[in-house]
Amino acid sequence: MIAPVAVILEQLSREAYVADPAIATSLHLAQVLEKPLLVEGPAGVGKTEIAKALSAILSADLIRLQCYEGLDAASALYEWNYARQLLHIRLHEKNASHATEAEIFSEPFLLKRPLLQAIAHSGKPPVLLIDEIDRADEEFEAFLLEVLSDFQVTVPELGTLRANGRPRVVLTSNRSRELSDALRRRCLYLWIDHPTFEKELSIVRRKVPGAGDALAAEIVGFVQRLRRAKVAKIPGVSETLDWAAALVALHASKLDHAMVAETLGCVLKDESDLRKVRDEMEAGRLPLGATA
Amino acid sequence: MTDGDLVARTVSFCRALRERGFPVGVEHSADAVRALAAGTLESRESARLALRCVLVSRPEDLRAFDDLFEDFFSASPEEPQPENRVKFPFPEAPRDAEEPPSLARWLKQGEEGPDDDDPEEARSASDMPALARKDFRDFTDEELEQIERIAARIARKLAARPSRRTMRSHPDFTELRFRERRTRKTRIVAICDVSGSMDLYSRFLLQFLYALQGSFARVESFVFSTELRRITESLRERPYASALRGLRDSVRDWSGGTRIGACLSTFESEWGRLVDRRTVVIILSDGWDTGDPAELSRALEALRMRARRLIWLNPLLGSPGYEPLTQGMQAALPHLSVFASAHNLDSLRALERHLLA
Repeated sequence: MIAPVAVILEQLSREAYVADPAIATSLHLAQVLEKPLLVEGPAGVGKTEIAKALSAILSADLIRLQCYEGLDAASALYEWNYARQLLHIRLHEKNASHATEAEIFSEPFLLKRPLLQAIAHSGKPPVLLIDEIDRADEEFEAFLLEVLSDFQVTVPELGTLRANGRPRVVLTSNRSRELSDALRRRCLYLWIDHPTFEKELSIVRRKVPGAGDALAAEIVGFVQRLRRAKVAKIPGVSETLDWAAALVALHASKLDHAMVAETLGCVLKDESDLRKVRDEMEAGRLPLGATA
Repeated sequence: MTDGDLVARTVSFCRALRERGFPVGVEHSADAVRALAAGTLESRESARLALRCVLVSRPEDLRAFDDLFEDFFSASPEEPQPENRVKFPFPEAPRDAEEPPSLARWLKQGEEGPDDDDPEEARSASDMPALARKDFRDFTDEELEQIERIAARIARKLAARPSRRTMRSHPDFTELRFRERRTRKTRIVAICDVSGSMDLYSRFLLQFLYALQGSFARVESFVFSTELRRITESLRERPYASALRGLRDSVRDWSGGTRIGACLSTFESEWGRLVDRRTVVIILSDGWDTGDPAELSRALEALRMRARRLIWLNPLLGSPGYEPLTQGMQAALPHLSVFASAHNLDSLRALERHLLA
């Protein structure tokens, strides 16, 4: 493994993020090539966590834009604070003086939304997390491409604002919609799948130290088998961690059928999945055990 | 390896990826070289991870990338030229091969209509009632334009929604944050059968999908005969001629047999995430399934659960006396929200109603 990648791995591990060389390589290249990193993968595999860990190891601010259906440029970039502007005008009317246009269209009246915050950020370039871009509309994606290409924004009343240093951009997507090729072309790409047994085990050990090695291995082994059992809502790592924490709280030291049946709701969030898995367990087709 | 070698090999690797349909442009070759120059050449594995990060943009492509990487950057650099070692799993058909049936020929010609209908050409359904195609004998350019107009109108209606804000003219504070409730936006997933028995309709329907995609962004288009293929990006090309070229390159078995059940299962497992409660799924097929009806039934049931509506458009339904008696159709019917025809312009107009329902 090459030196910078090894360093990043080591730093991520210090932030309690269990990474692998693919993740560290993509972070390294995002830095070197100055390109945004698009992270895709199933829900709950730690896509968002990457950006958080990155901001921690760079000791840079994290600015997060959570996407949703109907997100528009104004809520992502900036809006004028109408309420404040109107108050300002009324106050001036009372004092029989005039509020000038220049006054009310100045920075104190500007509501900076995440994208503008990232651009106007002073000091060390921040990490900009654009979370779940697949939930935003195609129109917004096109707008975002524009912003990401030059990191400057023109506010007609104020002039053009430029980023001092390029923010490090991380985009995540659950693939509920296919992103455009234009966006994909502009980004480096990282696919994170559900972790292997070994990786998930080290995540559980790391995040739920109270679980103990034997129990942790049993938990991970069972979740890994669940994922292969084709349930409708495949549990992510976060579910594994919730379950481990719940079992620790119940002072479990070993998995047994009763314990699993009671706590399975931490892992499976779908009624038909729960029924299916309970049936499978009763039929002995889903063994408990500390293997992959 | 010298720097020059490295650049040359990386560039030809990028070209090979492009030939396999990866969205890899010139700028990617440059990035790939820079990525390798950034110290990732130390081991084969780190070079693989670095190039993958730069050149792959879809999980479906990861395996194909790894295979090609294996071929190009083998452990011993003394091997013969990379080009000779590259093996494509989908070799192009030899140019002088026997002329494929009419849809494939039409794709080659681009704008010309289907030739005189040789019944032998429609492979899997040569016993299909001749009446079923009559409606397309008089297929004219004018009608193509009409398809575009209808598609555009449907798209406009689907896209229409109330304006986001009505606040600017209200100086009162209480009105300031008022927003109209947004309507949930409809998405469309269209899955079109391009097997031999559908030849005469596929052209018509693809043209419709092309027009629909052109004016409505939230459409995902797929075609299938024995394999499923996503063609959304190809149909995005403008003008139509170059969209057709893209289709011709990406779809390998136009006018072959049909495996509806298997293809819809593939869709369900690989692309099911595109379908949610506001998605209308349209399947365009005559239901001449050569596969397992139970598989078709399972796939449709799963889709029905996810989607808002599941519409099956069957061109044969337009022919008098047709009854959906094929095994495939029998298996499908219980799961459909709408089963309608798609054999002429009137039936497309009716589609508008189904989509907006």
